[in-house]
Amino acid sequence: MSRRLLAVVVVVSLFAFAALAAVTHGQSGEYKIGVLEPLTGPLAFEGKRHLEGYEVMRDLINERGGVMGKKLAFAVGDATDPTAAASEANRLITREGVKIITGTYSSTLCGAASEAASRQSVIYWETSCVDPRFAQRGLKNVFRTEIDGTGFGWYNIEFIAKHLSHRFNMKPNQLKIAFLSEDSSYGQGVTEAARKRAKGDFGMQEVAAEYYAFASTNDFTPIIVKLKQLNPDIVHHIARGNDAVLFWRQSREQNFGFKALVHAGATGYGSPDFGKALAADGNGPFVLAEPGPGFKVEGLKPEAQKLEKDFTEAIKKRTGAEPYASHRLAGPGLWLLKLVLDSAKTDELDKFRGAVMSLDIPVGSLINGWGVKFAENGQNANERVQHYMLQWQNGQMVTVWPEEFTTGRAKWIPLGAWDSRK
Amino acid sequence: MDPARRLGFPQIDVLAQLGVSTILLGGIYALIAVGLTLIFGIMRVVNFAHGEFLMLGMYLAFWAWHLWRIDPYVVLPLGAAIFFVVGLVVYLLVMKGVIHASHNVQIFTTVGLSTLLENVALVAWTGDFRFVRPWHSSVVLRLGATAFNLSQVVAFAIAVALTIGLFAFMRWTHTGRVMRATAQDRDAATLMGIDTDRIYRITFAMGIAAVGVAGVLVSPLYSVYPQAGLQFVLLAYVVVVLGGLGDMVGALLGSLIVAGVEVVGSYFFGSAWKEVLYFLLFIGVLVFRPAGLFGQRGAENLGV
Repeated sequence: MSRRLLAVVVVVSLFAFAALAAVTHGQSGEYKIGVLEPLTGPLAFEGKRHLEGYEVMRDLINERGGVMGKKLAFAVGDATDPTAAASEANRLITREGVKIITGTYSSTLCGAASEAASRQSVIYWETSCVDPRFAQRGLKNVFRTEIDGTGFGWYNIEFIAKHLSHRFNMKPNQLKIAFLSEDSSYGQGVTEAARKRAKGDFGMQEVAAEYYAFASTNDFTPIIVKLKQLNPDIVHHIARGNDAVLFWRQSREQNFGFKALVHAGATGYGSPDFGKALAADGNGPFVLAEPGPGFKVEGLKPEAQKLEKDFTEAIKKRTGAEPYASHRLAGPGLWLLKLVLDSAKTDELDKFRGAVMSLDIPVGSLINGWGVKFAENGQNANERVQHYMLQWQNGQMVTVWPEEFTTGRAKWIPLGAWDSRK
Repeated sequence: MDPARRLGFPQIDVLAQLGVSTILLGGIYALIAVGLTLIFGIMRVVNFAHGEFLMLGMYLAFWAWHLWRIDPYVVLPLGAAIFFVVGLVVYLLVMKGVIHASHNVQIFTTVGLSTLLENVALVAWTGDFRFVRPWHSSVVLRLGATAFNLSQVVAFAIAVALTIGLFAFMRWTHTGRVMRATAQDRDAATLMGIDTDRIYRITFAMGIAAVGVAGVLVSPLYSVYPQAGLQFVLLAYVVVVLGGLGDMVGALLGSLIVAGVEVVGSYFFGSAWKEVLYFLLFIGVLVFRPAGLFGQRGAENLGV
């Protein structure tokens, strides 16, 4: 008897819940998207920052009218590893009923998550992973707002050709360039893209292309002695860790005089460790990265300036610190999704895709200076996703290029004698 | 085609610099290898945690520098004493129990110890790269067209001194002779009244003290982080096998050979080839001279 009563109570309360859920859903006029981030495990640190960037931008979007006239809401999934990314994507689609998924911070996760979304024809909106294969699979439902690893090589050569060569009083095709890189897929991806563009677009003279295993290279002297004889103007070096400090220190010992060194990414020369290890002895290398000290908000279009200030303010209020790179990737990526949804007025794939392809926004329009022009493969164009060149100056990485977006200026062009860079 | 071949045969100053680099890099490898060859040769224990003791030596130098600005060279004698004690403690707690066990058990134990130490360092000091920057780490000496880093020259000099010292110790002191006797035949040594347990204890402590010293000495040259030992330890095994197990002078010469292959290979063929080259050498030595380049025939079984 009591068991029957219990069953009746359970059934009634289930109906009541369902009814309540239906009513609240109808009342609020929410539009829910799926957000996949690594919130536990080794990537959790950055995954949480990325999610913070999304949440802060979501609130700013809702203050500005939401998406398609509805309040934007998230259904969050924890994508610890590729397997979890795929299963969480499935859960968000089947249980939460989302038609759009965004995420995932990491290059190890975006492939699996977007595959899972594709199988159910759900839109996948990536805002940070840089794996070049992501946009090369011919998937019609997959879009990426950030450039990929090859885009870093593209920007490095852009900087060398457009900003450095004339300051050496040389034409780009007179420049001798040596490529040196650690041999991971990241290092090779960036380096090969840079080699291709240096030769193909600008006719630069490649004097060397050398790969090494960063974990077992204890001495760069033989490479430096060799490069020294080849006398390059530019050293394009993608480093991973200790190798940046070791190469720089030993280049100084060997008095290897090149005119500039260019790196890309947050490892090696891009790591704060480089400055800690060398202080003013580390003056000079250029690092392609997210904007840092010197970044000038006034360089942005007026509407982006307001949003940038509100975003930075909200991040500071929430975390007590300036926005990190992960925040700066997530924020504008989500804002862009709002622009697409507002113009498509639907999440139906064909119309959504049409709206994505018709976007044509100049550089400087989004909060970190990005513009938008998507290619057929769903990849935002290198030229529009503005990246920044930073330079080590007395233990600090200062934003130096493009000059319209920064108060900092590149120094030591060409680098000059090792002990004169103070 | 590798650009070095376009350069043709190197000029004399390039050859001189490659020679200098070989000697200095070889010095660093020798520092790390002598402790390993001691433990390997006498106890016949493959100490997979060797690199982690190197890492701990580097951290000792880092903290002394970071907290009190003490130069690594001042830390050196203290470091040798500390690591001797560390070696004794680790022997009593860990190695003593497995010294008579099979090689598999010893390998599992030292691999476990290696992972344990690495992760303790990771938890205690995080994975950040740390740096020791005493004045001598940025002093460059120039002789003709060649350049030397002062810290590296000192490391090389101490490596040579350490090798000669250990060689003399093994050759001419009573304890050294007893250690060699134990290595040759443990049972016979016991029958002659030698306390083999004491000998193993001293050997292990000496080996760990040597690698601790090596860690302190390389700290101005390389970044300090929990996996720092891995960067060198594989090379140290190659060196020990090349030089012959337990052979101090062999370890020094083996180090110079490995460094030479690395430097010359990187210059002429590109650095991607250097590991191919010295592992070819490694396999070649194992096949044709299993006792090592300088070891006596049959020494692979005796450990002398």
